[in-house]
Amino acid sequence: MILELAGEPAAESAQCLAGCVIRQHAIGRDLRGLAAAVLVFLPATARAQVTAAPRPDEQFDVMNLLSHNGLHDIKDESWNAYGQFTWISSYKAPFSARYTNLNNGINTSSLSTNGEHSFTGTFTVFLGVRLWSGAEAYYVPEVISERPLSNLKGLGAVQNFELQKGGTETPQIYRSRSYLRQTIGLGGKRVVKDSDPMQLGTVVDSRRLVLTAGSFSILDFLDKNTFSGDLRRQFTNLAFMTYNAYDFGSDARGYSWGGVAELYYDDWALRYGRITPPKNPNALEQEFRIYKLYGDQIELEHKHQLFGQAGAVRVLGYRNRENIGRFDDAVAAHQADPTKNATTCTSYNYGSTNVNAPDLCWVRRPNIKMGIGLNLEQHITDDIGVFFRGMISDGQTEVDAYFSTDRSVSFGALSNGTVWHRPADITGIGAGLGWISKAHANYLRAGGIDGFIGDGNINQAMESVVEAFYNVNVITSVWLGADYQRITNPAFNADRGPVNIFSGRVHAEF
Amino acid sequence: MPSSNLPRRIAAVDGVSCCLVMHIFIFAVTFSLASFWTTYARAQVQAQGFAVERFYPAAPGGGWMVMDELNMRGRLGGVVAISSGYAYKPLQLTASDGSQHLSVIKHQSFADVGVAVTHENLRFYLNLTSPLIIKGQSGSLGAYQFTDPDVSVGRIPDLISDARVGFDARLFGEYNSPLRFGLGAQLMIPNGIRSDYDTDGKFRGMLRALFAGDTGMLTTAAQLGVHIRTLNDAPTPGSPRGSELLFGIAAGPKFAVTRDKRIRAIIGPELYGETAFKSFLGSTTTALEGLITGRIESTTEQDSQLRVKLSTGRGLHQQFGAPEWRVVFGVEMFDWYE
Repeated sequence: MILELAGEPAAESAQCLAGCVIRQHAIGRDLRGLAAAVLVFLPATARAQVTAAPRPDEQFDVMNLLSHNGLHDIKDESWNAYGQFTWISSYKAPFSARYTNLNNGINTSSLSTNGEHSFTGTFTVFLGVRLWSGAEAYYVPEVISERPLSNLKGLGAVQNFELQKGGTETPQIYRSRSYLRQTIGLGGKRVVKDSDPMQLGTVVDSRRLVLTAGSFSILDFLDKNTFSGDLRRQFTNLAFMTYNAYDFGSDARGYSWGGVAELYYDDWALRYGRITPPKNPNALEQEFRIYKLYGDQIELEHKHQLFGQAGAVRVLGYRNRENIGRFDDAVAAHQADPTKNATTCTSYNYGSTNVNAPDLCWVRRPNIKMGIGLNLEQHITDDIGVFFRGMISDGQTEVDAYFSTDRSVSFGALSNGTVWHRPADITGIGAGLGWISKAHANYLRAGGIDGFIGDGNINQAMESVVEAFYNVNVITSVWLGADYQRITNPAFNADRGPVNIFSGRVHAEF
Repeated sequence: MPSSNLPRRIAAVDGVSCCLVMHIFIFAVTFSLASFWTTYARAQVQAQGFAVERFYPAAPGGGWMVMDELNMRGRLGGVVAISSGYAYKPLQLTASDGSQHLSVIKHQSFADVGVAVTHENLRFYLNLTSPLIIKGQSGSLGAYQFTDPDVSVGRIPDLISDARVGFDARLFGEYNSPLRFGLGAQLMIPNGIRSDYDTDGKFRGMLRALFAGDTGMLTTAAQLGVHIRTLNDAPTPGSPRGSELLFGIAAGPKFAVTRDKRIRAIIGPELYGETAFKSFLGSTTTALEGLITGRIESTTEQDSQLRVKLSTGRGLHQQFGAPEWRVVFGVEMFDWYE
């Protein structure tokens, strides 16, 4: 749902992590003039911020091309431009279920038991420009075309992170990010920041204050993880993009307006962000009364070396005040007055046609939702890394902007292909586990639905996804990938599934 | 007791008669009203909307706000341009007898981000415009029903309207020469929703002949071209009528604003507009706007440059999308390698 992560110090580690791109061939030195001009105009890299490795000097992209031809100072940039293209195609095999959509009606919140095809295609341009000393502006337009499985219903962990709520097969152009960033140096060592999407090549202090304001994904700044975050080159299931229980405020595409402050002090970083929630749960329209309704998050990060290998620990807490409904309130309202059911909503709702079901539409008001999570990453060798994420959210209120999971754990390992002499290939295996709260389950059992799930009944269980993938680096910055996911207890319901999903992926960076 | 019955019967007959007449009358009135209403309702045609914005910013690095100086140079150059503007009543409709006015679009504001790459006399560019506000009045005018759009950053936080991809080539003249001539082409990729008045929902294109020159202190620029537009919503008032002729001219003096002449200013008028070929120079199918554009820019040939632009003006012929008044602000940052 959200895209590539931006950010943090591609150059602040000296080791090549599993996601880093190794040079496949050098840029032809004779590419000059018009060729350079034309190529500059082409979209640039969604190069994964997952790599904490030094930037490969001769990776094929526009900025490297210009730099190699003496037309750009990639170490001290006044501007840069990158682009990416990703196509993910998935097939969900038919599966069995004791029941599907007991709520009846055409607005099903169950995953269809039939075989289904889903796809996403995204094309992104990343533009950055230096305005004055320490000030940068970024602008990221994007095009997406998509077809979700079962209208994006029936899963706690959606199989493809690129899928957006309300997306269409007709390509849509939108502005994913536009923000200003001001870096204020506070001393310490000098740290090289390599040129990357949403990062101008420069040198900064290891102790610094970074202020950002505008529209962005909060995941551009918080909850980064080298081995589980850049899903265009790694895992594709949403369970691996961030904590699946992290219901960060955002619009239906996953972006927010607001501000982020980051304080870096050598190996430590403290981040705080306040962002806009949607006006209605899971909708595109944003609530700009950020003093009244908001999403707050704070994260503490420490980077370390363990047995000579780089790692990081992050603790993130969030607290949202949003116009959302509590599950218990919805059930109680329905029990007290059965006319307040899912079919009689007079305000924003998900269109359930179950006359005997409670609905959150009756109980939405400013409510608090919060959670706390732990994020770990650790190199095992130069080419293999492992990760872990776990979060507990209170689980009393509905999903407002991300997904239905109330508690989540994910872990796994990534490796590049150095051992088998294909260093630019990437492979990984991971597991994502998710739970919903008792209150959430009671609401679903009564026939209620939230933004994504609600089979009309539930045999409450942990939903799990196991995912394995292999991405072949076919030419320079182009990867072809194969991906398999097995999802058990879809929508936290042991009466359905398991589900097998097979995906293919094409990813290119420029 | 017939007599005693007769009056009752007569009364009954009269009662029936009375009710029948009443029912027939009510039915007739209702039927007539319903028929009239239905006919009236049927006659009301809902306007579908279209790309109402008539302000097409110059290509990034173009110099003027709308016109183009054709001053590309260097082996490789790049430009980032940001502009934002506001237009008041860009779509105001008036009944044929002048008795009724409807501001379908009363407030329109945008932010545009453009990037360009230049190579010697060539320029490639991309412009992405985000509508910030498009609001107006709903109502009917003649047989047409207009629904005001409700576009704001809050409602659609990431909106981009039709994207413009363009290519310009200077075919005659050099950088800063007295006469420069070039050709330009743009493709407008539809994006948005017609009822929001930010797109036609169809691909559009522009082919333009571009003229420019610098003589002494005077700098000039002009354009003549075709806006290839397949949308023809005739006879909906104010709507597109298919392809249009584009025209425009700008001129102004250049003068130094610092003693070392490293910063200069240019100020002058820009006149531009369009008219539909299908009703060539018709009063309701021709728009004409005038802007006074002032800009301050660096004259250095070595370092990257900054240009700041401000324009304000009004619709000289306030039809066909020309607003009552408009203000635009722009910043361009550019650099090149020799």
